Amino acid sequence: MNRAWRNFAFGVIIVVIVIALTPYFWMFLTSIKTRAEALAGSPLWFFRPTWEHYPEVFIHKHYLPLVKNSVVVALSTTLLSLVAGAPAAYVFARQQFAGKEDLFFFFLTTRMAPAISVVVPMFLLFGKLGLLDSLYAVILAHSSFNLSLVVWMMRGFFEEIPPEVDEAAQIDGNTRAGTFVRVLLPMAAPGIAATAVLCFILSWNELLYAMILTAFESRTLTVGIPGLVTPHGTLWGQVAAVAMVATLPIVIFTFFVQKHLVRGLTFGAVKG
Amino acid sequence: MSVIFDKVSKQFPDGTLALDNLDLEFAKGEFVIFLGPSGSGKTTACRCLAGLEEITSGQILVDGVDVSPLPPRKRNMSMVFQNYALYSHKSVFENIAYPLRVRKLAKGRIAEEVRRVAALLQIEEYLERRPRQLSGGQAQRVAVARALVWKPDICLMDEPLSNLDALLRLQTRTELKRLHRELGSTFVFVTHDQEEAMTLGTRIAVLCDGRLVQFDVPRKIYHEPATRFVAEFIGRPAMNTLEGVLTAGVFHADEVRIPAPSPIDIMNEIVLGIRPEKIVLHRQPGPNLVPFALDVAELVEPDTLLFLKSGKNSLVVRVAEDCSDLLPGDTVHLEFPPDALHFFEPTTGKRLS
Repeated sequence: MNRAWRNFAFGVIIVVIVIALTPYFWMFLTSIKTRAEALAGSPLWFFRPTWEHYPEVFIHKHYLPLVKNSVVVALSTTLLSLVAGAPAAYVFARQQFAGKEDLFFFFLTTRMAPAISVVVPMFLLFGKLGLLDSLYAVILAHSSFNLSLVVWMMRGFFEEIPPEVDEAAQIDGNTRAGTFVRVLLPMAAPGIAATAVLCFILSWNELLYAMILTAFESRTLTVGIPGLVTPHGTLWGQVAAVAMVATLPIVIFTFFVQKHLVRGLTFGAVKG
Repeated sequence: MSVIFDKVSKQFPDGTLALDNLDLEFAKGEFVIFLGPSGSGKTTACRCLAGLEEITSGQILVDGVDVSPLPPRKRNMSMVFQNYALYSHKSVFENIAYPLRVRKLAKGRIAEEVRRVAALLQIEEYLERRPRQLSGGQAQRVAVARALVWKPDICLMDEPLSNLDALLRLQTRTELKRLHRELGSTFVFVTHDQEEAMTLGTRIAVLCDGRLVQFDVPRKIYHEPATRFVAEFIGRPAMNTLEGVLTAGVFHADEVRIPAPSPIDIMNEIVLGIRPEKIVLHRQPGPNLVPFALDVAELVEPDTLLFLKSGKNSLVVRVAEDCSDLLPGDTVHLEFPPDALHFFEPTTGKRLS
């Protein structure tokens, strides 16, 4: 590759990075601007930062429990989806049975319907079950769409492990269940990590289900943000402060696992 | 200890009959080879013995006990796979130690046993490595070590050498033979490579289409093949076979006339077989010699392979002498020693003697 071409490629990459990161940077700036500065007619790059929005929204407006709710929901959803989805994925990867591919495709189709079409029946169901405005409702709703993702991704990871490994583990003295728990799961650990991260992110970022199924106590952080759109106008500084807190863990998390994540998301494309 | 396959059949869900009434019996300490072309059922037989496949009918008896209902972990057998099937997330040490850990041996014992078997296979220096840091030969030794460390009754090997390069395959072959002698354990070795089978096995079970064709010591398999299939499968190059008619002590196939002491009085259609190295080459015509034209000569040091033709019949001759004077198209005269001739029934392929 010659020098000019490389410089051009670098230039393109820098432009893409700037385009991708500017909203986040602007969000951060907004979170430390006063309301007047945030609403200034022309973009304001230099100002005296203020940190007032953070304590205002998290302490005075009691948004801190929402962070906890989001963490509980995202972790529980991830755990539940993995515990139920990984064994299912293993069966899809290894076992032959009638209608296997149809059933597998059916799992995928559960993600194809627009969320809004599912959320009303879900509201009614959880209402009958008395689970509205509880974390359980959100966890179950999020698991419903994460489960298919887990089955879909983990099947590929299990298929990458040669079936002879299962057989070797059985011959070495394991039961079938023992083989799965003691040999296959540890071997698929990078895949599980990638799937877990994706589950966590999808649940953490989800708004619609959480907004419809919760009202007060069980609101997640994303549901909290529309609450800052008041009849007196949008509190942009506070919205940005909440968004910062909501974004940061994901950004840091993704940065550390990006290698696995890319592998997890692209294996299907490679395997066809 | 003895292993008996008693009328074992295996039919896969797609209808393929992989094993068809297989009868086989061998004893402790043997190095048994399951030999056959692909699709002959040799791997299936091995997997049925290990318990990785359920048999459709029949029984597999180990020491008189039917093991068919037992899962693999209760059969006291280990297995080396073609792709080694190492646990990629564990170190070499942990891979070898794993069967012992599952069997809950004391830590000290485990380390001791792993080091013992590692020394035997000369892999002590790799114990801390991960499987992906190993070459094919090293990974193969680790797989063998894992299969031998817990001293199973039988060690099954499913084409363990076929992923190795030619030189390494020869070395490993010799080592396996040495291991078998030193440990005195029972090995069952699946291969499609007749050379591997001939050099390693104490006995060879030749399989074809899920049936046992011949089960004997390598010498007998080579010198007294039970069928035309075995004759044409064993040997490099394989045995020559000519289809023709046998009358009054002479075998006719087109122009070819070979004096042959008939095993049966009168047999019309018959298949005559002879090993390439048993045919004697003459440059001059003589009584009872059969003329053939040279097609191709191949130098396989120290021997020469001559591919010869006469009408529709073709033969390979393996000679030790220098044949650089022969050119394609030249006529040579072949002697077929009567005691080197084999006869097979043309329809069933059975040996006639």
